[in-house]
Amino acid sequence: MTPQLDRRSFLKAMGIVTAAAACGGGGAGAPAPATATGAAPTAAAKPSGRISVYSALNESTNNQFVAAFKAATPGVEVDLLPLAAAGELQTRIKAEKASPKADVFIGGDSSFHDGLGKDGLLETYESPAASAVAKESKDPNKNWTGFYFGIFGIVMNTDRVNKEVGGAKPTSWDDLLDPKWKGKLILGSPITTGGGYIFIATQVFRFNKDEAKAMDYMKRFHANVAQYPGTSPQAIQLVSQGQFVAAPNWAHDILTEKVKNPGIDLAIPKGTGYEIGAVSVIKGTKNPVAAKAFVDWVLTKEAGELNVKLSNRVSVRTDVPPAPGAPTLTSVELVNYDRDWAAANKDRLLKLWQQTVGI
Amino acid sequence: MTSLRREPSLLLALLVVTGLVLLFIVYPQVRVVATPGGSGYADFFSGGSWVRPLQNSLSVTALSTTTAVLLGFVYAYAMVYTDMRGKPFFRLVGILPLLSPPFVVAAAYILLFGPRGIITYHVFGQSPNILGLFGIWGVQTIAFFPFSYQLIADVLSRSDARLEQAARNLGAGPWQVFRSVTLPLTRPGLGAAILTTAIYVLEDFGNPALIGGLYTVLPTQAYGLISGFGDLSGAAAVSTILLGLALVIYVAKLRLDGGRQYVTVSGKASSIPRPPVPRWVSWAAFIACSLCALVILLVYGTLVVSALTLAFPTNLGFTTQHFEYVGAHSLSLRNTLVYGLVAATLSGIFAVFAAFLVERGHWRGRRVLDFLLIMPAAVPGLFFGLGYATAFNEQWLDWVDRGALITISMIFWNIPVGYQAAVAGLRQIDRSIDEAATSLGASGLRTFRDVLVPMLGGSVRVGFTTTFVRAVTTLSVVIFLFTTQSTTATITIFQLVGDFNWGGATAFTVADVGMAIIALVVIAVLGRGRVSLGAARG
Repeated sequence: MTPQLDRRSFLKAMGIVTAAAACGGGGAGAPAPATATGAAPTAAAKPSGRISVYSALNESTNNQFVAAFKAATPGVEVDLLPLAAAGELQTRIKAEKASPKADVFIGGDSSFHDGLGKDGLLETYESPAASAVAKESKDPNKNWTGFYFGIFGIVMNTDRVNKEVGGAKPTSWDDLLDPKWKGKLILGSPITTGGGYIFIATQVFRFNKDEAKAMDYMKRFHANVAQYPGTSPQAIQLVSQGQFVAAPNWAHDILTEKVKNPGIDLAIPKGTGYEIGAVSVIKGTKNPVAAKAFVDWVLTKEAGELNVKLSNRVSVRTDVPPAPGAPTLTSVELVNYDRDWAAANKDRLLKLWQQTVGI
Repeated sequence: MTSLRREPSLLLALLVVTGLVLLFIVYPQVRVVATPGGSGYADFFSGGSWVRPLQNSLSVTALSTTTAVLLGFVYAYAMVYTDMRGKPFFRLVGILPLLSPPFVVAAAYILLFGPRGIITYHVFGQSPNILGLFGIWGVQTIAFFPFSYQLIADVLSRSDARLEQAARNLGAGPWQVFRSVTLPLTRPGLGAAILTTAIYVLEDFGNPALIGGLYTVLPTQAYGLISGFGDLSGAAAVSTILLGLALVIYVAKLRLDGGRQYVTVSGKASSIPRPPVPRWVSWAAFIACSLCALVILLVYGTLVVSALTLAFPTNLGFTTQHFEYVGAHSLSLRNTLVYGLVAATLSGIFAVFAAFLVERGHWRGRRVLDFLLIMPAAVPGLFFGLGYATAFNEQWLDWVDRGALITISMIFWNIPVGYQAAVAGLRQIDRSIDEAATSLGASGLRTFRDVLVPMLGGSVRVGFTTTFVRAVTTLSVVIFLFTTQSTTATITIFQLVGDFNWGGATAFTVADVGMAIIALVVIAVLGRGRVSLGAARG
């Protein structure tokens, strides 16, 4: 476990250096002002050392993203643990609470960060850069900060849509109830994928929490659904292969697949749901200065632009333009998505849905 | 085995084995089982969301185990009894389904046999909706028959040809010999095969996740609770249900093989060839194995073609660009090979030794150790890894190398198959052989090393091979344990799949599986002299 040992001895050395610096500047009573070399306005110490980042971002985003951070913050080394599955990373952080191995958790819906915050496993931090983030997109308890949006849309196999359902893009979720879609739709299983559940919750919010109407919708939708695949990316893949015709799914993932297979297309119906991708600092981090510097950097315009370019997601910063063809929060009509309510009512809604569609 | 009291070294060995089992199998699982707490269990069980997945799990386990064991028996019988052609080829193909990294192989099935599948739609013009029960059933039959094939083949090859020859000489026809001699002799092997296959089917996550659709089984429910909702407590409760079911299957198996004796290897060497089977049986076996091999090769062929085309199946232009990922992630491939080889060696040896202590011992509590050594098969990899991540992530343990911890988890997670093979093997070896050795002055441990181990070469091989291929292809066990330095090939594949990089994922899978096959072939060649030392093999 050499990296760990390295990190430890390094941190020890770091501690001595910082302590010495504090003593040296302590004569006047006030800490000496930080030398303004970096762009990030860090308070007292210059970030250095090594941080461990647990990343739920896509593999193709990770490397360039971290490289850009290191270029912007010389002296900080990053151990990146890549796992594009926020639920597993959240579970891992919970399992490791006796001796935390991560300093920063990045990516995945804010609900995964929020769960950790409620368990007291996150360090509260309000980045100075978070002033550019609207208050709906960051935690009032300062456990996490949003840095991108993922918007829910529909992936369509263009060829089959043209041949079998008349070629028109659905503009509202109700369009998917037309019998011509029968047996041609799929949806990530609401029981095993976050996206499948967001789809149900979106319908509930679309009918102003009138659950009877939402369940009626889900029942009629179910009549057209051929399958509920077990993972989200699989649903896109199946439509891309032409096994099925269309599937509600994440817009950014659909655009990523579209680069590889131009035979698919993205539609965003009005009244759609979205996720807030978050970043947070783990409680017990041995390098809070560098961990916070990482969060500060993630919230910069530069990082926002890079993430948009690499992942097709939408930045929370209004001064970052969206990727070509990507929706933004203002270009589409969103439902009033109540994240806390959706999380609190998950079990009940899923059971209600299972009873409704009879599975 | 003589009395433990008279042989302190044997007692010490037993204590060490028990200690390791408690530390690396029981303790981590206790941590997982304790996660939800009383109120967590109460909430979960009263919620009732587990009822349907439980029913589904039971149905699919019954169906897939039956067909997988039948297919495994046919395959094993064909390999051991008939003189069909191409046995080395079928032997290799029979291991391939074990080498199926999650997310990739099931996806290949859909490409071939889905509603717009290459075979189903483009060849036969059919659009079957294979996601669901039938999809899981079919894929699991192929995925799990290698377990029963290996266990049954090991037992069949050790059964004594003289009994069958004698039956033929007394006028029995081939069918009568099969029914009244061969089949009863394989009973311990069949019991082990059914038990092991059933438990592995029950615990299977990868296939139902990709081909099950809404047909949720317990492992996919547990995974969904963690992955989609971060509900660790509910997921741990599901894992506990699986452990309970494994206990039920285990008790059923004890009833199945009762207290009967199955000795077929006596003290006298036998060099009589097996009585020949009728020609048509050889041909039928050849056709059955060929059909099975065809499906398997189609699946792996799809992966190879995907790895070598720009965007299969929409863009069939040839490219080698996907293999760039193999170079870029060579660390994960190297780790996989090292962890797999170390884990397989230690797991194979440990399994046979533990089987010796349990099967030849007369001490109390043998049945408990017996169950504990089979239990890991019932723990979904996700929870085995989670148990390790919880139990061994303490500050005072931070010096422990993560690669070593991953290797240990692979050793103990994969013990059951090698252990089952060794137990079945030992039951066929007459105790009079042990007694002859001990009365000539050999200690219990010496008897094990010099007399029994040479005769159990096949069982060690089953344990080694199974552990190795499963270690090379497991994602779920390492997902909570890997670090930047100790990452594995399956993590890389998972990342590439999540990135919609089908070409990269298949190229990496081809490299991973290819590496494993080369390693197995090299080991088989190196080990040939040693294995054939077992003079008493039938």
